[in-house]
Amino acid sequence: MSPYARRRAINATVLGLSFAATAFGLVWLAAILWTLLQNGIPAINVEIFTQSTPAPGSAGGGLLNALYGTFIMTLVGTLVGAPIGILAATFLAEFGRGNPLAPAVRFINDILLSAPSIIIGVFVYIVMVRTMGHFSAWAGAAALAIIVIPVVVRTTEDMLNLVPASLREAAFALGTPKWKVIVMITYRAAMQGMLTGVMLAVARVSGETAPLLFTAVNNQFWSVNMNDWMANLPVVIFQFAMSPYQDWQRLAWGGALIITVAVLALNITARLLASLKGFSR
Amino acid sequence: MSQEISITPSGTAKPVPTHAVPRKTIAMEPPQTGRAPTPDHAPAPAPTPAPKTAEKIAIRDLHFYYKNFEALKGINLSLYDKRVTAFIGPSGCGKSTLLRVLNRIYELYPEQRATGEVIVDGQNILDPKLDLNLLRAKIGMVFQKPTPFPMSIHDNIAFGIKLYEKLPPSELDGRIESALRRAALWNEVKDKLRQSGLSLSGGQQQRLCIARAIAVKPQILLLDEPASALDPISTQHIEELIDELKTDYCIVIVTHNMQQAARSSDYTAFMYLGELVEFDDTELIFTHPKNKRTEDYITGRFG
Repeated sequence: MSPYARRRAINATVLGLSFAATAFGLVWLAAILWTLLQNGIPAINVEIFTQSTPAPGSAGGGLLNALYGTFIMTLVGTLVGAPIGILAATFLAEFGRGNPLAPAVRFINDILLSAPSIIIGVFVYIVMVRTMGHFSAWAGAAALAIIVIPVVVRTTEDMLNLVPASLREAAFALGTPKWKVIVMITYRAAMQGMLTGVMLAVARVSGETAPLLFTAVNNQFWSVNMNDWMANLPVVIFQFAMSPYQDWQRLAWGGALIITVAVLALNITARLLASLKGFSR
Repeated sequence: MSQEISITPSGTAKPVPTHAVPRKTIAMEPPQTGRAPTPDHAPAPAPTPAPKTAEKIAIRDLHFYYKNFEALKGINLSLYDKRVTAFIGPSGCGKSTLLRVLNRIYELYPEQRATGEVIVDGQNILDPKLDLNLLRAKIGMVFQKPTPFPMSIHDNIAFGIKLYEKLPPSELDGRIESALRRAALWNEVKDKLRQSGLSLSGGQQQRLCIARAIAVKPQILLLDEPASALDPISTQHIEELIDELKTDYCIVIVTHNMQQAARSSDYTAFMYLGELVEFDDTELIFTHPKNKRTEDYITGRFG
């Protein structure tokens, strides 16, 4: 075989294997989505958005309390976690040069980023739930905030590092104080990427189950009390899917579909934001 | 480059390749560099040396280090007010480094440091106690790549002004207009001041950056290869602008393009390997260089 024919053969083989690997992954994804749509769509109706979770065996009911709980705990978790993450990333990207603390912070952040979320749930259980003496939505939001932080730190730092040094230099060359360079120039240039990072963090925590099992647990009834147990989609899906009641299983499918569509929508929005031209080059 | 455009013999409409790499240009056309300093860049005075003006910047025994590497090895140089001084030399000779000492922009990077003296109006600007922001208000800088801020054209100019002055909106708009007029950009952008500065072409962006620099009313302008990323027509705009601005400012320009140095400067400093080899009137440097290395460089024998 000539070297050229050999090269072509290798190319074809590797290409074929790559396609096969991609197809293998996509088949499962498609199967999951198909099952989800098949079982979830019949469960979607008006009641699922207007009524709270039903008692065992009783007909009807919806997921309103769980939708609200997931929304509010994700919101609070993001509002607490995102600013901390952005400030930490600002330290790393804008002040970290030559500071021995920066590589340490970056390393610990990467560990936190890959830490199993159940560990974070247990941690918040010990620190907050045990000391407060009861489960609460605050503890749930705190656990989610801890998961938000490393995601936002990582994406924000990457985005700030993408801002060209020449842009910062140009701002400094006008005699701009450092805080103003960061707030008015660097943040502005990195805005889309930073928003994308926060959106990805929101998408990540809105589907987290483990940290909520130890903190907010669940609540069968409508509740807006952040100091009390609070229903949320992932835990409701977990409990209802495991239950023997058909109504509950149906609601679990509906909830799974809603959360999947919501996360998908968030991801698509984040990607659209990231691809928008106009600010950063 | 203006000459190349207008006197091209082949009579086609756009005969000149719009993207001439400066260094190549030098290497390919050594004979041109010899007679490049045409008198048209110096408006009033005759071909012989421009009359000396006040010394604006005095550089004394300046050494500069990137970590342990000595990038500038004892520079002594005077820069004059209302004159254009060009720094030329091959890549890595230290000309940009020297420019970046003059507004201490290098201090953004902790591993860089300078020793010696740079006296501006009698004050050593390397003094650590000096207020850097006030220094940079007095010494404007324009970079190789256009660096418009991610905001509107209007806000790009207003940004610098607002750092130092609190003006009523009408007065602010007036200042913005005059800065844009000064930078020969007003007519092109006056109807789209609210559009993003990034929507402009490269040449316009660079003039926007010049307008932004002069809106702060500096006394010294540092230009770091301001035209090297631009096409010949934009380059011509920038050079005309430099000529027009030097009536008010002390201008220092770093350039790889020797025709540009010859056309737009009054004095030229040739640097090589961190040393100042020769400093003289631009005409003399390009017609009667005293140093062999200068001669070799300007005739394209190395670089």
